[in-house]
Amino acid sequence: MSGFNSVYNNVTFALQLHSKALFGLQEQASTGSRINRPSDDAATAYRVMGLNSQQRYHTNFIDTIENAVSTQIMASSVLQNMGTTLIDTMVHLTQILSGTYGEGEDGQSSRDRVALEINDVLEQMVSSANTKYVDQYIFGGDNTGTVPYRVQRDNNGEIIGITYQGSTDGRNIQVAPGVQSDITYAGDDIFRSSDRETPVFYGTAGAAAGTGTSSVKGDLWLTVTNDGSNYKLSIDGGTTEITVPSSGDISNIAVTNANGEVLYVDATNITATGTERVRIPGTYDIFNVLISTRDLLRNSNGLSDTMVAGLVDEASKSIEETKNVLVAKESSIGTRINFLDSLKDSIENIKFNGEDEAAMLQDADIAQIAIDISRRQTLYEMSLSVAGKLMSLSLLDFIR
Amino acid sequence: MSDYYIGLSGLAAAQRAFDVIGNNIANAATEGYHRQRLELSPAFSQQPGSTVFIGGVNIEGVSRTIDTLLEQEILRQKSALASVSQQTATMSTIEAAFGEFASEESGLNVTIDNFFTSLKNLSTHPSEDIWQNQVVSNAETLTGQFRTLRDFLSELQNQIKSQAEATVGTINTLTGQIGELNGQIERIMLVGGEANSIRDQRDQYITELSERIGIQTIERSNGIIDISTSGIPLVTGSIATAIEANYVNDGTLGLSIAGASNYSTNIQGGTIGGLFSLHNDSVAGIADNLDSLANAIMQEVNNYHVMGTGSAGSFSQLTGRSLTTDELSEIGTISDGTLYIRVTNTATGEISREAIAINAADDLSDVATAITAVTGLTASISSANELTISADVNYTFDFMPAVLPEPTLTDFDDAAPPTVTVTGIYAGTENDTFEFTVIGDGSVGNGTLSLQVTNGSGDLIKTLNIGSGYAAGDALDIGNGIKIALSTGNLAETDGDLFQIDAFADTDTAGFLAATGINTFFSGSSAVDMAVCSEIIENPQRIATAIGADGTDNTNITRMADIKDKAIAGLGRLTCGQFYRKMTFDIGQDISIKQIQQENGEIIVLDLTNRQNSISGVDINEEAAQLMVFEQMFQAMAQYMHTINTSVASLMEIL
Repeated sequence: MSGFNSVYNNVTFALQLHSKALFGLQEQASTGSRINRPSDDAATAYRVMGLNSQQRYHTNFIDTIENAVSTQIMASSVLQNMGTTLIDTMVHLTQILSGTYGEGEDGQSSRDRVALEINDVLEQMVSSANTKYVDQYIFGGDNTGTVPYRVQRDNNGEIIGITYQGSTDGRNIQVAPGVQSDITYAGDDIFRSSDRETPVFYGTAGAAAGTGTSSVKGDLWLTVTNDGSNYKLSIDGGTTEITVPSSGDISNIAVTNANGEVLYVDATNITATGTERVRIPGTYDIFNVLISTRDLLRNSNGLSDTMVAGLVDEASKSIEETKNVLVAKESSIGTRINFLDSLKDSIENIKFNGEDEAAMLQDADIAQIAIDISRRQTLYEMSLSVAGKLMSLSLLDFIR
Repeated sequence: MSDYYIGLSGLAAAQRAFDVIGNNIANAATEGYHRQRLELSPAFSQQPGSTVFIGGVNIEGVSRTIDTLLEQEILRQKSALASVSQQTATMSTIEAAFGEFASEESGLNVTIDNFFTSLKNLSTHPSEDIWQNQVVSNAETLTGQFRTLRDFLSELQNQIKSQAEATVGTINTLTGQIGELNGQIERIMLVGGEANSIRDQRDQYITELSERIGIQTIERSNGIIDISTSGIPLVTGSIATAIEANYVNDGTLGLSIAGASNYSTNIQGGTIGGLFSLHNDSVAGIADNLDSLANAIMQEVNNYHVMGTGSAGSFSQLTGRSLTTDELSEIGTISDGTLYIRVTNTATGEISREAIAINAADDLSDVATAITAVTGLTASISSANELTISADVNYTFDFMPAVLPEPTLTDFDDAAPPTVTVTGIYAGTENDTFEFTVIGDGSVGNGTLSLQVTNGSGDLIKTLNIGSGYAAGDALDIGNGIKIALSTGNLAETDGDLFQIDAFADTDTAGFLAATGINTFFSGSSAVDMAVCSEIIENPQRIATAIGADGTDNTNITRMADIKDKAIAGLGRLTCGQFYRKMTFDIGQDISIKQIQQENGEIIVLDLTNRQNSISGVDINEEAAQLMVFEQMFQAMAQYMHTINTSVASLMEIL
């Protein structure tokens, strides 16, 4: 039996044990965390690391959605303003049709004034279509770094042509795990209707729509001439002329232009030469319809008031068509904003649950720690006390 | 006179007992000391023919109170405890170096997340500097952290080797001392002497030795103990065999008899056992895992990156990494396949795609020659085996899988056929050739003209109306991201009119670009040398975000961001994050198990030591009691001698 050495060993061991436990408890109390390194509880640490990673993932998705929503709100706001402006333009055109601005010379000067207003509207529309938000053109599709609409101007500085140079697809991004959404839009989809209908001919030459599907868009002029033996048709002012055969089936003549576009014409009932206005409903874009309307109001072709009135009526319908496209897109964007908001709520809920679970797994139970510290401290003191008592006396004290 | 003899023997025994008790008390705190006991026996002599026994006390000797089996078990347990303690301490250091849970933003888990998050952010703004710079910055943090951790592990392995060498030095010193003491003990025992103190000293050295290396002991006659470890003799009698630790050819740490170079890597127990296990298994395993993770991230990102272009556009020159050999079979993971290069004539706008056959048995110069044969391109190889591809003036090149704007094959017989325009980004996962066969005769936009689309396997995937209802120039989606548009023109089924489009999911089926470092994002092959390519750091616009023809899409960067959630075969079908978390789990679990083993070992050693103390330890109370016994014995014997002496004096007076 060896008393002192064993007592010493036991006390040392017990003190080390309690010190280590007290250090661990003190660390938990000071950090507020039950897990301060993976070895504290490897399985829980694995789970917490996964949850933390997921939270960062979700936080990023929430940021992405917020950015996407703000871009959508901007796009929606731009479209709304453009729609309102188009309605105002239509009101002016209706006033012209109703004679509010007078007729004859007065009427032309009024139409010129409205044409000027439409020119301003056109500038405004181009500017709106080229809106840049957070350094990105929102109507350039995937190509957010290049101005989507490039304009061609005449010597007076007026816009005579618009070219879309963005991409044909919108920018698609991941807004949630496995969920994608467009955040920018291809202007060609937004500002142009794509519900092609059969061409409508306005004129006295007798041309009508052929059976083929034409590829021309918007408004154009069909020029019908006759070289003495055959009628000749052109849709680019005579640059490209298509001869109508004097015999055979002439119900579907392909009249092409230098750009390779085609208008199928039924020439069966052509009985006179002249220039026919051709509308292709469902193919209008905001810019060209405004250019066309502006030029129509200026009546550079010297059309009669009646003819102008008829065409202005049709132009008003074309503008309404593009306005309807804007309204439809605005509505679609609104739906997308609602979807993204709802998605954000859902992700926030998942994130909250994840945070809750991580906190539950990781956070220290301070009350329990306080009790454990007290218990360990008592044990520590007991070890010291017992050792002191056991080692203070020996048989040697009693020999004499 | 036997009475005097009895008295003297008693007095001598008592005095010797005082020595032993004194020695015990003096060594009460001496580590390794075993309590000694005076062995007494009654003395007797038998006179021939008589029944008279004359005694006294014989001192048989002084023996150590020792339980040999218990001592052996203590050696074994202390050896195991030292091994596990060493491993726990070192693994805890590794755990701390990984830094998980040290703060919210520390550790590789966060860094990996941040890197992929920055890729995802860039997918939202692929051409913007700020997001490109964020990717570079986070990638540099990621690679820096990988390298730091890997350096730490390499340095740790060096430290472990140094520590092992130092421990081997201590082992050699201890075995030398044990051998010397063995010799002394043998000499003393051979002449019938007692060598208790020397044996205690030697046993203490054996205990110290067992804490440094797992040993087997065999006790021979004359108190000699032979010692060996894992088949290597350490001490045989008085001869100690020096050992040495060094690297074996495969980089593992081994132990051998000094100068024999016959290394054993399976060393168990003691500090050395712990160090060997750490060096050869634990640390090496963690380093391998870290390398695998780094390699997987680099490979996955590079495999996509090589095919794309950034907002800087196509290339006029690209240079690969330096290679140790020009033989393709020795470079990374190159297999037989084809490399497709897209060459653009910037003067004419003409775009072509050239196929370069890659044969794994070829060398780099064969590939360079094949590339140089492409109009507009030149390839060269430096002395460091760096492949450089240069475009001639008015040419650029890239490896984008973007569909060419025109069909790869057109077979139209009419004098006025339509022009076919191809756009879009192919979403398929395998390279394919789509054939468009004309059904019906007539002009585009008229009648019932249509196109039957079949894939490379001949499966019909779509029928497209290009007759009445189709406006020439309108894009038709064939369902996999590719769109075609036909201008006006005439087509005829009867003439067998058709055209083909090659669609690419992978423009480098040989894995040549990633292996040679052409247009890669990362350079290096493991965590040791993982880095962001200098071209990317210098020009973040080179981050290959797009694979579409106009280079403005975010398809490629989205694919790279999606690697975060991709189960990677090289990582046991785990994602990068899961693999890393499993790695830290394994480290934590390992430490946790070792801590339990250490605690258990400490308790076992404590119990055994207490047991040893109860048998071999010095108890002051017990020694004091013994002291009293022998003191009284001495007093009694002195009184006895006095009585005898008085009796003899009285007798002499009578005489």
